Amino acid sequence: METIIEILKGVHPEVDYETETGLIDKRIFDSFDVVSIVGELMDEFDIEITAEHMVPENFNSAQAIFKLVKSLEEE
Amino acid sequence: MSFISIDFALFAIAVLVLYYCFPKKYRWVILLIASYVFYGMTGIENFAYILVTTVSAYICAWLIENRGTKQKIYLSENKDKLTKEEKKSYKASVKKKQKLILTVCLILNFGILLYLKYVDWSIAYINLFRLTYFGRIDFIPFKNLLLPLGISFYTFQTMGYLIDIYYGKYERERNFFRFALFVSFFPQIIQGPISRYSSLAGELFKEVLFDFTRIKSGFYKVMWGLFKKLVIADRLAAYVSDTIAQRETYKGLYILLAVFFYSMQIYGDFSGGIDVAFGVAEMFGIKLAENFERPFFSKSISEYWQRWHITLGTWFKDYIFYPLSLNKGIIKLGKFVREKGAESLGKRIPIYIPMFIVWFATGMWHGSQNRYLVWGLFNFVFIVLGTELEPVSNKITLKLKLKETDVIMKTYRVFKTFWLMSFLRIFDISKDVPSAFNAFKLIFTDWSSFKLINVYENLSLPKEDFIVAVVAIIIMFAFDLIQRKGSVRERIFRLPLPAQWVILSLLITAVSVFGYYGPGYDAASFIYGAF
Repeated sequence: METIIEILKGVHPEVDYETETGLIDKRIFDSFDVVSIVGELMDEFDIEITAEHMVPENFNSAQAIFKLVKSLEEE
Repeated sequence: MSFISIDFALFAIAVLVLYYCFPKKYRWVILLIASYVFYGMTGIENFAYILVTTVSAYICAWLIENRGTKQKIYLSENKDKLTKEEKKSYKASVKKKQKLILTVCLILNFGILLYLKYVDWSIAYINLFRLTYFGRIDFIPFKNLLLPLGISFYTFQTMGYLIDIYYGKYERERNFFRFALFVSFFPQIIQGPISRYSSLAGELFKEVLFDFTRIKSGFYKVMWGLFKKLVIADRLAAYVSDTIAQRETYKGLYILLAVFFYSMQIYGDFSGGIDVAFGVAEMFGIKLAENFERPFFSKSISEYWQRWHITLGTWFKDYIFYPLSLNKGIIKLGKFVREKGAESLGKRIPIYIPMFIVWFATGMWHGSQNRYLVWGLFNFVFIVLGTELEPVSNKITLKLKLKETDVIMKTYRVFKTFWLMSFLRIFDISKDVPSAFNAFKLIFTDWSSFKLINVYENLSLPKEDFIVAVVAIIIMFAFDLIQRKGSVRERIFRLPLPAQWVILSLLITAVSVFGYYGPGYDAASFIYGAF
């Protein structure tokens, strides 16, 4: 989880990722941010993120991203 | 067989009767036979193309899944013997083989499509090159190949299925004949929608009970589609083409009116055709994917493309944009640029390069003329400008003390999007790129010369037709607005029975009396049928 928050802080350091649950819905992240984050996640965790994972629910909070990474690591 | 003809109506009724007479479990067989009969009637030579697509995709899906199954068995049998690294390397080697099978099938099928669409376009450029650099006048003759009906639509739909199988999204269809129906289902083969196997298969193979309300609902949808196609689109076609052809004489407002009418024509034509497909499918108890969501009420070009020809847009998004955007190479390139200090550019690379490719491909999909490529690239430029200028636009809105939710702002954005998209369609109605630019330039000249009498008498839109078209367009948009709050048909069905009959009678009367069946009329020529 710490690594994920570190990646997210690299994009938007001002956000409180412990509490924020509307990263996409509140337009805190734009599409450029999401693709940058996905790139970092794929690099860091050696996972493959594809089109089907690109839904707001997977990126709305640090917790959701953590869940996505965990499920892809287990595949 | 034309989609809009007595022949098709009789064909659909006959299939419908047979469908509901057959045992529920095997009704899909009737649909398969009907789809092949329908397809055969459009030209027996077309069979070869659809069979190549069906057989190649079926075999490749089987090969891909087979390798996946073997992998699962191997890994479960050796789960204690293999190290994590060995498992990973085994998985990678299987994935590589699956990718090769997928690539071969994609090249075969898109190769056929590209060859049929682009062979004459390529020959023209080869001839030009030979003439310019070698003075050769022995031109290579054109092939003049006819594009098999619906080839773009069924190729995209079937290749989407194969890519999904590659990603393991669902299990492949094991029954070849059921798969053949998924590829060829007749109501959607002419101009889509481009369905996903995950949603269409469930619809095609479910056991459907006869339900009169569903038949009635489908019939309403068909009639509404015919209203848009016959009363609006076909009535305006001649004015649009005549005005563009005579643009040096009838310039300014005449062209602006043609641009507006062409937007109405193409919407009536395409969404009308889709409504017919939707309605016919509904009578069989099959729900097709939505392809339109009131696109002319969009507030930006990006939003417009999420609401117009939705199934093509999502196809490009899922199978071209995201795979490119999430490709490790492009992400690394973006990261490299960011690390070199160009943070903003680096972030944009994984979005804008795939987007450029998507719009180039969308242009190519529409036709083998340069004007379609230019049209696609303009869409790309407008979307990029819209994204990049958003902060400036927000500042202006703030300075004017306006909010995005204000009616005035919404109206402005809808108006701007509608006209931008309409102006881009000049590429669609012009014969080439210079003519399109010329037509656009001429819009801004000589507005004072506009006289409605010329529209009525010299530009193939007599006064009565003009009035019918305008009233029909108002009705179309009024229904679009009502639909925003839920299905119009469901509301009609809640009315007392006599009121329902009055509405249906009015719709049938409008289509029969005001449908445009003028000289040179060809109901078969759906604009998107040619794509």
